[in-house]
Amino acid sequence: MSNTAAAPPSQDMPPKGGFSSIRYERRLPKRGPSGLAMFGILGGVMGYGWYRLYLGLDERRELEREKIWSRIHLTPLLIAEADRDEYRRKCAALERERVIMKDVPGWEAGKSVYNGTRYVPDVIANVPIHQQPGFKQD
Amino acid sequence: MVNPGYRHFKGEDWVDPTPPPASLPHVDEIGSTSAPLKSASFHIGSVCKEYNEDFMLCKNESRDPSHCLQEGRKVTRCAISVLDKIEKECLEEFRAHWQCLDAKNQELGKCRGPEKTYNACVFKAFGWTKNIPGAPTNKPQIHERTPLTQ
Repeated sequence: MSNTAAAPPSQDMPPKGGFSSIRYERRLPKRGPSGLAMFGILGGVMGYGWYRLYLGLDERRELEREKIWSRIHLTPLLIAEADRDEYRRKCAALERERVIMKDVPGWEAGKSVYNGTRYVPDVIANVPIHQQPGFKQD
Repeated sequence: MVNPGYRHFKGEDWVDPTPPPASLPHVDEIGSTSAPLKSASFHIGSVCKEYNEDFMLCKNESRDPSHCLQEGRKVTRCAISVLDKIEKECLEEFRAHWQCLDAKNQELGKCRGPEKTYNACVFKAFGWTKNIPGAPTNKPQIHERTPLTQ
């Protein structure tokens, strides 16, 4: 320790030309599109999906409309046919009632059980009596 | 067929063989199954529009089946004439379309191929076009579009 006292002091010094500068800021590599671009792409994908959804719903609605109108066009025809059959059955039932109840005084065949004039369809099916089981022709 | 509550009746027991009263004018029934009717429905609807609307207005007055027999006969005669005309001019196309309907659960959207030739034939022979009421006018009707799925 004693012989070093006279020597000139030795000190760590920076290298010649100084230290190189330190990169202290974050320098991450740029990855992928920006947030705005991703937002835009997402919006585009969803917009296309919604467009396709609209096309599908539109097609479904128009198919339904087509089906309904094809049925509407046939309804009068089918009702007319059913009406003729119902009328024929009612006439036959009335005739049967007339024959069966001919001995009952004061009986009006085919008289409605209601007081109003509104048409009420039969609730109970009117089965021809000559076809019912156990019916004997005399 | 067994009706509920009437198990001891056979299906034939419900049939009433009595003919219609003689005072009623005779009219042939349409005698067609559902697929040909569905195939021809838009042509029946456009050609017989007046008879159909007359009949439905009459039915609106009264539900009594004896109330609209005359209008009903006109409706049936008109529909029969439409079917006869189509069968006379476009039998092959008509048959292809309704048999397709029979095979494809009677969904019109699944028979666009046969329908195209059928509609073209009917238009060529009679000038009838298929028009769906109430469809949007700014785009083609559903039977003129390309289906999204095959």
